[in-house]
Amino acid sequence: MKQFLQKHKYKLISVCSFLFVLLVWELVTDVFHAISPLMLPSPAKILETFIYKLSGGTNPDGATLFENIWASLKIALGGYVVGVLIGVPLGVGMAWSRRFELFAKPLFNIIRPLPALAWIPLMILWLGIGYRSKIGIIFFAAFISATVNSYTGIRRTSQVHLWVGKTFGAANRQLLFKVAIPTALPMIFTGLRLALGSAWVALVAAELLAATRGLGFMIQMARMLGRPDVIIVGMLTIGFIGLLLNTVLEKLQNKFVKGAKKG
Amino acid sequence: MIDTTSKSRFSIKQLTVIYTIISLLSLLVVWELAARFTSASMFLPPASQVLMAFCRSFVEPIGKHTMLVHLGYSLYRVAVAFAISTVTGIALGVGMGYSRLLEAILKPLFEFIRPIPPLAWIPLSILWFGLGDTGKFFIIFLGCFCFITVNTYDGAKNVDPELMGAARMLGASERQVFFEIVLPSSVPYIFAGLQIAVTAGWSAVVGAEMVQSNEGVGWMIVRGMSTGNTQQIMVGMVAIGIVGFILANLTSALERRLCAWNEQKGV
Repeated sequence: MKQFLQKHKYKLISVCSFLFVLLVWELVTDVFHAISPLMLPSPAKILETFIYKLSGGTNPDGATLFENIWASLKIALGGYVVGVLIGVPLGVGMAWSRRFELFAKPLFNIIRPLPALAWIPLMILWLGIGYRSKIGIIFFAAFISATVNSYTGIRRTSQVHLWVGKTFGAANRQLLFKVAIPTALPMIFTGLRLALGSAWVALVAAELLAATRGLGFMIQMARMLGRPDVIIVGMLTIGFIGLLLNTVLEKLQNKFVKGAKKG
Repeated sequence: MIDTTSKSRFSIKQLTVIYTIISLLSLLVVWELAARFTSASMFLPPASQVLMAFCRSFVEPIGKHTMLVHLGYSLYRVAVAFAISTVTGIALGVGMGYSRLLEAILKPLFEFIRPIPPLAWIPLSILWFGLGDTGKFFIIFLGCFCFITVNTYDGAKNVDPELMGAARMLGASERQVFFEIVLPSSVPYIFAGLQIAVTAGWSAVVGAEMVQSNEGVGWMIVRGMSTGNTQQIMVGMVAIGIVGFILANLTSALERRLCAWNEQKGV
């Protein structure tokens, strides 16, 4: 027993600290009523709302939790796929061909410092408040990380490897596909993960501003109706899904990318 | 093919300048022509007009203020929140990286909050802090804080254990080990964190102002959206882009100056 305690000391402290915070939270809200439930609902209330929304409750925003998650995911993944399909080849192309780089890099550098959120008004004005404008916004969020990382990855190809390939008579295309891209793959994957993260963040922002469904819309609606329990359920769901998406990509990376460093 | 030798008669520097001019000019020309002669003109003001409007915005007010005042509001919000998050983020990161007890207590709570995007806090922050600046500070603080903490924590965790062992063997106190070894060797990581945090903070202020504000660059573009004024949106975007660029380069220039001993290969 003592050994067990000694071995897992820090894990136990972690669990205790977490439980302690929950306990204090519960005490100041439900037991002592020190904080109004309109400002901070109790953990018990949040759990209750979570179960209600999960089991098909549609109040107060007119959709269940799963419907909202699905609405958000569909748009986020749509924009993400477009951003990656354009971003990765662009990054590879810029790193591989000097002429293309000279031409495309200034244009890319104009877009790069602009946060994806700053595109929201323009996109909404041009494409309406439907899914097309949100795909446009998420495209910009995903596209930049995907391009930057692919570019850097290809640029890190060792010159010696290229010389060896050339000496053995490899064509330009072979050098690109057999030497440079495999070298860059870990970086490209990192880019894909960063891109997915920023796509998810941009989606929430876009839904806060203009949407009729989705997690961002759910928390915005809950604010207007004064339902902080729903807001917190939404926030935790958003965080959890973001984490989940990242984990999935990490697993894929470990499986498909050879020689990728962990962490 | 990545070639390091240039076969043309121009040097690489000259070529870069020439191509930059060509590509930017062709963008402006295509934009100008599309805006003047195609049906896109309804939604797309010509490039020249946007540039003119951008210059005018420094003297003529948009809404109640001129451009510089709007930028001032936004930068002030970022500066306050960034300062707070720098202090707390570094303290928390170094603390968690150095002391296993602090790590055990605080890390689960931190990991619980970290995946939630800062903008998702907006509804709650409005309920808690109302519509004033405090709520915006809170959002931007969250946007910067996580990056600074994570990077500082990584830095403090990656301190060479041999260095610490050597110092302890030579009789350094725990305090000395902390201030002379752990803190200095985390500095490069801290700077990497600060650089990401500045960019994230600038993005967060735009988002926060778009959802709820009466002034600032985020307000400017969202106001342009609700009045259907594309030109105002674009002027705002130009300003946001320029300031974002300056902020990102300012931090890396600062790092190069302050941490010259840690020269890394640039990307």
